[in-house]
Amino acid sequence: MRSFRQRTTRWLGLGLALALVLAACGNGEEADTADPDPDTDTTEEADPDEDEDETEDAAPDAGPFTIGVSNGFTASEWRTQMIANLEEAVAEYQDQGLIDELIIENDDVDEAGQIEQIRNLVNAGVDAIIINPNSPDALNAAFDEAAAEGVLIYAVDQAVTSESVTNVVIDQGQWAQISAEWLADQVGEGAEIVMVNGIAGHPANEARVGGAMSVFEDANIEVLANTNADWSQAEGQSVMQELLSQYGDQIDGVWAQDGVAEGVLRALIDADRLDLVTTGEARAGYLRLWEENDVDTIGVINPPGVAVTALRVALMELQGEQIDESQLTDGNTLLLPLPDSFTNATLDEALERAEGEPDGYSLDVMLSEDEVAQFFQ
Amino acid sequence: MKTPTLPPTTTLLRDARTWLLQGRLPITTAIALLLATLFANLVVADNFLTAFNIRSIFANVIPLAAVAVGQTVIVLGRGIDLSIGVIATLSSVVTVSVVEPWGLPAALLAGLATGAACGLVNGLLVAIVRLQPIVATFATSFVWAGLALYVLPPGTAAAPRMPDVIVLGYRDTLLGIPNAAWLLLLIGLSWLVLKRTRLLRHVYAVGGDEQAAFATGVRVARVQVLTYVIGGAYAAIGSFAMLANSGSADALAGGGLTLASIAALVIGGTRLSGGAGGAGGTIIGVLVLQLLTSLLVALRPPTDVRQLIDGLLVILALALAGLWSGRRRGR
Repeated sequence: MRSFRQRTTRWLGLGLALALVLAACGNGEEADTADPDPDTDTTEEADPDEDEDETEDAAPDAGPFTIGVSNGFTASEWRTQMIANLEEAVAEYQDQGLIDELIIENDDVDEAGQIEQIRNLVNAGVDAIIINPNSPDALNAAFDEAAAEGVLIYAVDQAVTSESVTNVVIDQGQWAQISAEWLADQVGEGAEIVMVNGIAGHPANEARVGGAMSVFEDANIEVLANTNADWSQAEGQSVMQELLSQYGDQIDGVWAQDGVAEGVLRALIDADRLDLVTTGEARAGYLRLWEENDVDTIGVINPPGVAVTALRVALMELQGEQIDESQLTDGNTLLLPLPDSFTNATLDEALERAEGEPDGYSLDVMLSEDEVAQFFQ
Repeated sequence: MKTPTLPPTTTLLRDARTWLLQGRLPITTAIALLLATLFANLVVADNFLTAFNIRSIFANVIPLAAVAVGQTVIVLGRGIDLSIGVIATLSSVVTVSVVEPWGLPAALLAGLATGAACGLVNGLLVAIVRLQPIVATFATSFVWAGLALYVLPPGTAAAPRMPDVIVLGYRDTLLGIPNAAWLLLLIGLSWLVLKRTRLLRHVYAVGGDEQAAFATGVRVARVQVLTYVIGGAYAAIGSFAMLANSGSADALAGGGLTLASIAALVIGGTRLSGGAGGAGGTIIGVLVLQLLTSLLVALRPPTDVRQLIDGLLVILALALAGLWSGRRRGR
């Protein structure tokens, strides 16, 4: 018994020793590999190797660059469209020889999982990361870690607090206020409403709820229930059904975020409660349902193309351009112009833009290279 | 393989053979798997030996390592805890919720107490109420998850965070070695200490043959309860690493650790029916799982098939690890 234990102990010791040796020898290379400042990376002159596929030694000013994408929530058409947009844009840049590879980490993950995504991308040698973050601050340490490795990071759709990251976003709070103000006008002072939101804790969701709530407070509108439907139309429909059975007699309207609004509208149509005012989204399915049922509502655009805008910002920074400081809000945020929203007066135009697209398609906006260049010095 | 008499061969060979047949085949297989996955990573991933990657691997591995060592203690005593990953979740939300008002040491103690208390409940249900471990702990996993949501509802606007010193320290190095690697060493050492206690001898006895252990005066129920308490405490230690890794807690995270912990201990050569194996092998199993993941990342399959490939690789590793025990038992 004793020798058995001793031997196992030895094996365990061996394993741990191996692990530590590995750890130590990996660390020894730190001085060579870590480059805290990407802009001063001019090591290419020492490199005689000029193969195109030799990405790690490519000149930082001309590319080709490797771009990483981290997306931590997949169960929404919006995210799918965001990724598809990126793939399409990258294909064009690949033809131009500016990007050599797009590495996508796309999975339903928690915060720890998204930290792992970021680490995987850094480890794969990307020059820039475009991330749709699951948390405004829980990823900060991973961002700092990536920035220390010389990777440029851009948060899209939702802003993060880390100074290592440039946010390329629309102001989600203001975005929410557009439809909140419209709803407040429709239902009037003293009215009672319910809210159907996305995923609690996601930065965009929190900013939107905050923006909408401030409007409702000012207009003296009471929010009876603040619910979440995970940015899923099916969930939105069932949440709205429950809300109708609980608050149906009391409420005058519904404030629904994009991603759940079509489900909410379906629930209202099924229950024959189109007397309730609801806000909506500029997505193909919603717009068509809106027209068929002759609803009075508003559709706001939340463009998945924001990721392509961020890609263009990244490419300019990678090529050595500097963002004009005066364009930044809070030191690290590029606020993109809010796209137009649609009401009954402009529904036809919206329907035209959605023609032939699947129900989940969001009317989209992405800034051109020239428009992005205006953010730079 | 069961030839009773050996042809006279060199003593060295015979010794090696006896040694292997005395129960070292599983751990030897685990080490072979570790070397194989290590080698595969070195070949496939050109960035494998960078400081960044080594640090990442250790940072990722600690939560599972701690939880899996805890699970091993439970399994050795013929139990299993299907709530252990969620215990880590509950412990992490408790710790992060009180770290601001109570200070770090008290918060860590609160987390540890939470883990141990959950383990105590599981242990009592299994050993005293005599519920099937799988059923009892599967049920309690929902209780822990519910409590975690109650303590820290997701989407709290200003979610509490761990102090920076913890988050930054977790990624730092000491004497050129990542702090997370030191933590792994500590977890390993804690097992070596634990293993020398009388309690663990009794755990092995209970796991090997409950009746016989009882007959020789081992207080079986008490021993089993304590395995769950120890398991819960290790889950709490894993939760501290989760907190250090992300700086904040997520009441919905951690559930995946449960099955991974079982996979790790099986790869590491611990018998699921109890009584044989040890946490040293489990730690190797955890490293194998992590190296499989990083191999997969380096190979870069599309992310939507990654989970599938990951699952297949784990099954392969489990099958390889189980080859010997299966053969022995199938006799």
